[in-house]
Amino acid sequence: MKTEMDFEDLMDEAYGLPNGTAKLGMLEEAARVADVNGMEEEAYEARSEIVETATFCGYPMKALIAFSWQLGKFDQEPERYDEETLMWSYKWILGELSSFPEVSRDKMMELLEDFGRRFKSFGYSERSYWYYRFRISMDLGDLEEAGTSYTKFRSMDRDFMSDCEACEQDEIMRYWLLAGDDEKVLEAAKPILKGRMSCAEIPHLTLSEILMPLYRLGKIDEADKHQAKGYRMIKGHNDFVQSFAEQMDYLARTNPAKGIDVLEESIVLAMDHEDPFAKMMFYARAAQLLRRWADESPGYRLRLPASFPYEGDSGDLRILADYFAAYAKAAADKYDQRNGNQHVSSMLSEV
Amino acid sequence: MTASNEYRFQVNLSGMIQILSNHLYSSPKVFLRELMQNATDAITARTEAEPGFQGEVRVELTGTGEQLTMMVEDNGIGLTEADIHEFLAMIGQSSKRGQQALLDGETSFIGRFGIGLLSCFMVSHEIVMLTQSAKGGPSMEWRGKPDGTYTIRQLETQLSPGTKVYLRCTPDAAHYFETEYVKEALFYYGALLPYPVILHSDGVQHIVNSESPIWLMEPGLARGRRAEVLAFGERLLGEKFQDFIPLTTASGRTGGIAFVLPHAVNLNAKRSHRVYLKRMLISEKAENILPDWAFFVKCLIWTDELQPTASREHFYENEKLEEVRSELGDALRKGLADMAERQTERLQKLIRLHALSMKALAVQDQEFYAMIHRWLPFESTRGHRELGELMSEGETLYFTTTVDEYRQIHHVASAQSMLVINGGYIYDSDLMAMLPQVVQHVQTQRLQPDEVSMSFTDVPPAERNQYYDALRLADSALQRFRCRAEVKGFKPADLPVLFTLSQESSTLRALEKASEESTELFSSVLGSLSSGISSAGYSTLYLNISNPIIQRVLTTPDAQMTPIAIEMLYVNALMMGHYAMNRQELEVLNQGIVRFIDWGLRANTDRKGDA
Repeated sequence: MKTEMDFEDLMDEAYGLPNGTAKLGMLEEAARVADVNGMEEEAYEARSEIVETATFCGYPMKALIAFSWQLGKFDQEPERYDEETLMWSYKWILGELSSFPEVSRDKMMELLEDFGRRFKSFGYSERSYWYYRFRISMDLGDLEEAGTSYTKFRSMDRDFMSDCEACEQDEIMRYWLLAGDDEKVLEAAKPILKGRMSCAEIPHLTLSEILMPLYRLGKIDEADKHQAKGYRMIKGHNDFVQSFAEQMDYLARTNPAKGIDVLEESIVLAMDHEDPFAKMMFYARAAQLLRRWADESPGYRLRLPASFPYEGDSGDLRILADYFAAYAKAAADKYDQRNGNQHVSSMLSEV
Repeated sequence: MTASNEYRFQVNLSGMIQILSNHLYSSPKVFLRELMQNATDAITARTEAEPGFQGEVRVELTGTGEQLTMMVEDNGIGLTEADIHEFLAMIGQSSKRGQQALLDGETSFIGRFGIGLLSCFMVSHEIVMLTQSAKGGPSMEWRGKPDGTYTIRQLETQLSPGTKVYLRCTPDAAHYFETEYVKEALFYYGALLPYPVILHSDGVQHIVNSESPIWLMEPGLARGRRAEVLAFGERLLGEKFQDFIPLTTASGRTGGIAFVLPHAVNLNAKRSHRVYLKRMLISEKAENILPDWAFFVKCLIWTDELQPTASREHFYENEKLEEVRSELGDALRKGLADMAERQTERLQKLIRLHALSMKALAVQDQEFYAMIHRWLPFESTRGHRELGELMSEGETLYFTTTVDEYRQIHHVASAQSMLVINGGYIYDSDLMAMLPQVVQHVQTQRLQPDEVSMSFTDVPPAERNQYYDALRLADSALQRFRCRAEVKGFKPADLPVLFTLSQESSTLRALEKASEESTELFSSVLGSLSSGISSAGYSTLYLNISNPIIQRVLTTPDAQMTPIAIEMLYVNALMMGHYAMNRQELEVLNQGIVRFIDWGLRANTDRKGDA
């Protein structure tokens, strides 16, 4: 029976797996084996992989824990480890940080400064610092500050530690989305939609983000096209829980039956998601969609995963919708409290 | 802009050739493929102009040593002087139809004549081409050198239509000119060509590709010609296969044979499907033409609808490719479905070899899962079994989601005769969770380690009362590890304690460990996160009342001994469960061992003193 494997075997097997919980489990097991046997460099290596895998399959907390460990080790013996990979991971961590309402505003700013200081000390462009300041300000609902950082980061040189153009462009698009300027959103999305910018996550994310702006501008045909293509790209990947939410938001208005398919196919991914923000958005949009679907198709029984912690009758869609809505609202309250504004709850105003 | 402002880039051809050979092509050997592609394009063009025309490619090897020469001749459309200027003087110009048609992938031609010919400079310092256009005009000779200079002249004699290319091999390319090598390579690239490829060498003539088999173009026919298909697969792919599935797409413009690999394959194994474009081998390692889950087959695929990349060794990742890939995936799935219905033994054999692939597919496709679930193997407390067998017990199928959890509980669970499946391997817990949706009357349930305790025997309150003092001592000893003690009876009796960890307490343990190592700033961030985790984050150390040592620990509480014994049992349980220990725990272990040695020795000395 294969219960105890050595470090190399575990890493080999993990490297061969697609991103997902199985790979993450393998890597955690490898880190554990390395820890138990006092193999520090191996433990560091395994954690590098954990950070990356966890970041891209819905486990930001695991990523943060592994990264914290790595950073401590790095500071103790900086000559032993490679700083580029570590600093690149730092960006992922900053990108996810705001999803945890327990982390205060002040702490986030402190981390941002720590990040900026480190980037500067390695001689990297300050663009990354301002870009992440831009992103975090958006997360915190501070659009004015985001605007300032936006101007700042765009004026600085990109270097090999900068996020790729496609990712930056997607964030710029998000800025206009938050600012409520749909025309500007479309303009910012153009280079991505035309295929001139792309990466591992773009246009995947973009194709869902663009749906509501297009809907509001009455461009339904174009939106439908992006919806179908976007869903095909993200289906089954739990890195995209928030995109499923955006899809449901749009489909609730245009094609609830298809929306229900999205809900049933992705709820198991949302349920286990460790990013409370993405999960909140999913639950909020699920609530909206269910209310709409209850009008259209009374008596429909939603297919929930066996392990879904809901005791009620899945045939009473309104009550189920309340359940989702209550979850989302409770989460939004926590963010509002942390952020000191109504930024997050206002995104859920229709729920 | 006026004409006087216009300049042209001065391209250094020898530099270009360097770039081509070092970066574009994977190996010099592709020159032969490029020549064959040019020949095929020329024949295609002539066939379009003269329906029914029978093409042919001849390759001749002559001379030895520095005189070793290869000649590749086709009887295709040939080039006029204007064509030569167009295709060879302007490298990058596509053949016959202009650039746009090529980009659209809708041309009947594979190659880009000029660039293809340049690849020959990787093996020869001079290229001589004699050509006669089928449209008439004089026969032409073109001689090119790697420095980019070339000469063109009219020949006095009139050749028959077609093109001959002569290459004289460079010393380090000699092995690409050996008869056996050339013969193999020609078969390799041209096995599917619909006209003969003939090799002349040492006065002997071989037809390299005997007639291309009809079932390749109509894969449906392959079913009836099993032996022939398997033999062909072995010759071309170099492996002895036992099974295959024919592939076709709705348009009929892509098809082929998926040979089932006769050995197990790792998930990260390189896919190496062999793909023919317009019947010419274009790639032997096309990774993106089948869905990811299809790593249990090696395919021969032909297509005339995909667009090759510049090196012509892969295909552009575009919507067309996505469509083809999903249709080929469907064909493969359908082949398996047919087996499930009609030839279960054949499928069983296949699953035994390629369980991982089958599981990957089942996770994505419930219908498929329903069809094959019976034969998928899982590790369980009843051993390595097929799911069908496990289900036939009619019990609830409990499953863990990690190997770790499984290890924590499988001894106890099997002693309680619970049926638990190790869901820690890739896809397994997903499949378990999905099972009730796919198959009727099956119960599956995720088992958390602390739930095993449900099947423990409770110790009656009156009895528990006797252990009150010992338990208090135990709890206070374990307090600092955020753990508490509980007395239960469980099997196996020789297991003194069992340590279980809920999801939350596991996360907390990880948080703390990272906190110990991290920077001050990050430790404080982790601190605020752990405050957000519910207080349910206590782990439990179950003391097994059926175990004699535990009996003794519980019945003779001692303010000095009991806490140390409990701590030692705790760290021992951590070791048994292969948990990484934090500093505090390691210290307990070290001190405990030293103390016990000390006690042991002292007791021994005392006894001797008594004697």
